[in-house]
Amino acid sequence: MIRIVLCFLLLCFYSVAKAQTSTDSIQRLDEVVLSDVKLKRYNQGYKLTVLNDSILRKNGNSLTDVLRFNSNIYFKENGYGMVSSASFRGTNASQTAVIWNGININSQLNGQVDFNTISAANYNAISIRSGGGSVQYGSGAIGGSVHLSNELDFTTHINHRLQLGYGSYDTENASYNLSFGNSKWSGNVGVSYVRTENDYRILGTDEKNENGAFNNLDLNLNLGYVLSQKDVLKIYHQNFRSDRAFSSTLLAPSNSKYETEDYRSMLEWAHVSENFTSSLKAVHLLEQFKYFENKDLNNYSIGQAKTWLIKHNYMRNLSNNMTLSVITDYSYITAEGNSYVDPKRNAFSATALLNHQFSSRFRYNLNVRKDVISDFKSPLVFAGDLSYRIAEPYTLKFNASKNFRVPTFNDLYWHPGGNLDLEPEESFQFDLGHQLEILKSFQIKLNMFYIETSDLIQWRPNTETNYWNPVNIANAKHYGLEVELGYSKQINAHHVNLVTAYSYTETEDVEKNQPLYYVPLHKGNTAVSYNFKSFTAYYQHLFTGEVDIIGGSLDGYDVGNLGCSYVLNTAGKLNYILDLKVNNIYNTYYENVALRPMPNRNFNIKLTLKF
Amino acid sequence: MIKNQLTVLVLSVALLFTSCNNDDDDSNPVPLGDYENGLLISHEGNFGQGNASVSFASYDLTVVENNIYNAVNSSLLGDTAQSIGFYDDLAYIVLNVSNKIEVVDRYTFVSVATIDTGLNNPRHIAFANGKGYVTNWGDGSVATDDYVAVIDVTTNTISAQTIAVEEGPEKLVANGNTVYVAHQGGYSQNNIISVINAATDVVSTTVTVGDVPNSLQLDTDGDLWVLAGGTPSWTGSETGGKLSKIDSSDYSVTSIDFAGTEHPSFLVFETGTLYYYLSGSVYKMNEDATTLPSAAEITGLNFYGMSINDSVLYGVDAVDFTSNGILTAYDLSSNTLVNSATVNIIPGGVYFN
Repeated sequence: MIRIVLCFLLLCFYSVAKAQTSTDSIQRLDEVVLSDVKLKRYNQGYKLTVLNDSILRKNGNSLTDVLRFNSNIYFKENGYGMVSSASFRGTNASQTAVIWNGININSQLNGQVDFNTISAANYNAISIRSGGGSVQYGSGAIGGSVHLSNELDFTTHINHRLQLGYGSYDTENASYNLSFGNSKWSGNVGVSYVRTENDYRILGTDEKNENGAFNNLDLNLNLGYVLSQKDVLKIYHQNFRSDRAFSSTLLAPSNSKYETEDYRSMLEWAHVSENFTSSLKAVHLLEQFKYFENKDLNNYSIGQAKTWLIKHNYMRNLSNNMTLSVITDYSYITAEGNSYVDPKRNAFSATALLNHQFSSRFRYNLNVRKDVISDFKSPLVFAGDLSYRIAEPYTLKFNASKNFRVPTFNDLYWHPGGNLDLEPEESFQFDLGHQLEILKSFQIKLNMFYIETSDLIQWRPNTETNYWNPVNIANAKHYGLEVELGYSKQINAHHVNLVTAYSYTETEDVEKNQPLYYVPLHKGNTAVSYNFKSFTAYYQHLFTGEVDIIGGSLDGYDVGNLGCSYVLNTAGKLNYILDLKVNNIYNTYYENVALRPMPNRNFNIKLTLKF
Repeated sequence: MIKNQLTVLVLSVALLFTSCNNDDDDSNPVPLGDYENGLLISHEGNFGQGNASVSFASYDLTVVENNIYNAVNSSLLGDTAQSIGFYDDLAYIVLNVSNKIEVVDRYTFVSVATIDTGLNNPRHIAFANGKGYVTNWGDGSVATDDYVAVIDVTTNTISAQTIAVEEGPEKLVANGNTVYVAHQGGYSQNNIISVINAATDVVSTTVTVGDVPNSLQLDTDGDLWVLAGGTPSWTGSETGGKLSKIDSSDYSVTSIDFAGTEHPSFLVFETGTLYYYLSGSVYKMNEDATTLPSAAEITGLNFYGMSINDSVLYGVDAVDFTSNGILTAYDLSSNTLVNSATVNIIPGGVYFN
């Protein structure tokens, strides 16, 4: 029986050496079963933070909430559940790449990812890779990248998980996940739904959050089939549908709504041989939005982009301790909608990644990539990173890279205003990291980073034409410090776990000689959990410092969530877990985006059935 | 956020009060308020960001006080201050994205009333026959729901009856009991002037003018001058601007055309002379002229709005729309710069108080 055990990415550090020294193809099949092999193999010099299942289930379905409370990323959310964009190490909304099973899914239209259109419920693990990643992950991986992974488990099993939740503001959650597998087949199915009136009270007033109702549906289907001892076939599919009213601001009423749909499909054939592995992926991505200025009328503007992508990854062991990957991909992208005249893009890229394990203590990666894109010239980008274990508990990490962010379809083709003379944004950056691990119960990561971005694309008014044009105009600098600390302790049946992170981020708009808007100088978050037999209690805390906005500033804030869960039946196959959570226990008034208040104290109750 | 801003504001206001009082020492009449005898600058602020504001400036621009509404009333003004209209001692600040009108004492800026019903995408306001007339786009994407709302100025409430008009009503001007509404076209383009009888509140007629009429001025005879900017090139059917004069007795139109790629704006009538803005320059022509001037008076400008008072031209520059704007004054007798001052984000309207 072929026994393939998938390890969480958290453990990747230990398994790399093992996989590299072995030529056993079965064990190497482990690796090709992963949806994002590069993340495991070529990133030793980067800080990787992995949020596993237990963390992902604590913040409901919202990826914004999960990352807000468990990472250094700052989110600008236009009211709870509304459009949400990331600021990673102080970079702008289109400089964080989101990678779905190894594929960059940032919008072709605006370059961003709306983190409220991704459900955390249907992924096994979400990884945060800090630092420049354009060589491996393409456009936009400047502040860092967020990786969504669906893993396939080829052990014999059938597991069901059903969750039903109800909370304040008439919020209903339901999700169902099925995972099954044997030595030949593996699959998982996920359905996740949330619907809410979202009419929270605005603290200090008699008002409620107006026009904020939304509902989201996420469907996931992933299948793997072992063709032979050397071949695996995998299918990934995801569909997200969102129907959101656009909430009012404190000063502007709203009657509009926004419907989005995303379809992502991928077929992958992975082949393992004595000296090489090969993976061929065929991908189709579709994104679509409809904006209704007045939600009561059937009048809307529409935008849509489709991507067809073929990607090949050839990885060869050059020697016992040296691996080379050559990745080539070709994509064809089209867009249509009210504001475009059927633009098309052909893009080809070639990437080479070299991993060298110089000694058991020292390893490094050298990466280079070139894109050839039909509508503009793209730079040669490169990256190097290293990891050096100075002493048993202490590892030094370093990476430096040149990265890019391509002009989006909006930037190039929006009518009127699109500018065909745009060039990609570029960044040069480096990151120095220290990792200390004592007895596996205490971990500390300290990172210092510096990012210089140039040719930033901004829309500016054009007095000649009287409309706005995007231009390569701004330059920015970002530098800062991040500390991440993990501690876990077990005394008899009592488990305590603490994860805390703090970031200090300085930014400068070089042209205006002022800090960038919406970047907190200080941000910190802490999660503590305590477990005793069937009982678990946890507390999450988020501190966000003051941010500059146009013509002013937004106050910083502290928000805390408290939750507990109890497993009602631990003996049999059927487990019931009851979960109670109070969000914003201090009833803090706070805004992530000016004049868009976030929810007051609210409650959520959840029942999980596992069988 | 708001608290911090207000603290700074209150402090700066306190400072300015002192200097204003000094300036006022030699004026005999009892001052009507701190904002008498100067300019009011309306700022759109960023769309959706709620940072609309009004600034006060002395005529020589040596005293500038930003955010006067916030300072006096300790509350934020609203989102996207499109324009201000004046009636007796009141100023009506039209807040486009907030769908409301803030009514304040024009000299003290103390809030008098808020009109926040019956408006949908309000743009500009004018007064006739004891009533206020407010142009509304309705939903921007719907061409058939545009209207002029009528305000009863004794109660500052919207009358139930509205006046349906064609697509994209923008600026309007009143002459006696006649209200002229320029249809710039909203998100589209239009080319008419609606004439409203303020006695009956019905559209008595429409007059066709150039494409995208963007400014209206009444001359001393009560005739209406309309400057149309023309259809922009991105539409694929570009037309040039047109300056038209509508005779108030029979609505007959005489026009002068600009070149096909010229898109003028900001028409101002000042004692028999017309001024307008075109491609970074200000031009002037006599009201009796039959051809357009060939040479500009002042060049190298970047105006987002302009007005003239006592032979001084005041223009506002919105710069990059995220930085503070600039207010500049030029002496039109010598076409020389008098002074300039920093104002708030996206200044658009210049008014004289």
